[in-house]
Amino acid sequence: MKLHYYPGCTLKEKTTGLDLSTREAMMRLDIELVEPEGWTCCGAEYPLTEEKIVGLAAPLRILRQVRDEGGDILVTTCSFCFAVLRRANKAIREDPLKNKRLNAYLRDDIKIDPWTKDKTTGFKDYNGEVKILHLLEYLRDHVGYPRIRSLLKRDLRGMAVAPYYGCRLLRPQAELGVDEPDQPRIFEEFLEALGCRAVEYPFKQECCGSYLSVSMPAAASEASYRILRSARLNGAKAVTVTCPLCFYNMDHRQEAIKETYLDFPGLPVLFFSQILAWALGVDKERLGLEEHSVPTEGLFIDHPAAEVRS
Amino acid sequence: MRVKLKASSEPHKFIERIEELSGENVYACYQCGRCSAGCPVASEMDLLPNQIIRLVQLGLEEEVLRSKTLFLCASCFTCESRCPKGIDMARVMEAVRHVLEPKGKDAYGPCEVSPELAKELPQQVLVSLFRKFSK
Repeated sequence: MKLHYYPGCTLKEKTTGLDLSTREAMMRLDIELVEPEGWTCCGAEYPLTEEKIVGLAAPLRILRQVRDEGGDILVTTCSFCFAVLRRANKAIREDPLKNKRLNAYLRDDIKIDPWTKDKTTGFKDYNGEVKILHLLEYLRDHVGYPRIRSLLKRDLRGMAVAPYYGCRLLRPQAELGVDEPDQPRIFEEFLEALGCRAVEYPFKQECCGSYLSVSMPAAASEASYRILRSARLNGAKAVTVTCPLCFYNMDHRQEAIKETYLDFPGLPVLFFSQILAWALGVDKERLGLEEHSVPTEGLFIDHPAAEVRS
Repeated sequence: MRVKLKASSEPHKFIERIEELSGENVYACYQCGRCSAGCPVASEMDLLPNQIIRLVQLGLEEEVLRSKTLFLCASCFTCESRCPKGIDMARVMEAVRHVLEPKGKDAYGPCEVSPELAKELPQQVLVSLFRKFSK
């Protein structure tokens, strides 16, 4: 089965582990991921003022391309891309004025037909036909946990993992609607379906400091430290994330955090797809673990599922 | 917090501009303070989110525009999800930054990121940071 997949900029260079492990895992689920042709950056931020509407042209161009390729679902793994794409799609579907203005932008980048000289040839207004899903939602609603469970190759019962949602996956709820913003369950259910123990802790939907890690490093370290500390105190052996920026703030910043908080021993940070791929029997070398600055040794101990079950 | 009210000539102009840009009704706020209570970077701010919105209600443009809070908001929408009146504070912050744009220089521009750091950072952080904090 083919499925449209939008990796986004960061997955191609800085967090290739998220991309690689997603592909490996989906292959085990018999799903081939197809990237829309000529995709660009989604813009990372949804424009929050009405006058910056042009920021929506980039995500909608990607979505129009998916529709033109015949795709009706687009999955993403990065929370930033997910939030921008889904909110842009909702805006063009529900706001007639935005729809009109943005389709006027989109119409501009259609090449003029050399034969008919007609600019509108082949252009069909994009009205939000594509459905954008985060991979977690796709696994829950379209693949289904029973099917994932039937394909598990490794036993993860020893793994206590803290799910970390961050900001862009849940909020604003009215526009994303993935789960409750203060009591989300989707990540816990996913981890439990894989056989892990999902650690409960109060900071799972707090902000990691986001882009302040460049402009205000101290504030971002503080925010990330609060999350890591809370997860550790509640017994987590690792934190799982969906967003490359959360990963950067919590994994790469741990050096800086340790300099401020001398008693903090460190905590590995993983992508949700790495745990999924590992549970489905992908080799450790194919998870992209070499990008992690906090060592992940000791987390991936091979217990074949069949051996334990029998 | 003590604020000196001045007889500003056209306070409603600023308020109307903020409401137009953000699409939020700033007068809906009744100062419960949940936005500030949940804000992950409130400790670094000179004016708390609820104080910003109060100053907007009073039309005190200058006080709002010189606050460093505007460039501390990470748009994490925690305030949005908790506001009992349904105000999206991140949108109000963005609108105030938008008003500030033609007046000042980049709050955080590409020149301030060293090449070594830029190599290490994920691309998305640079894109989102400059979208928020530079013109």
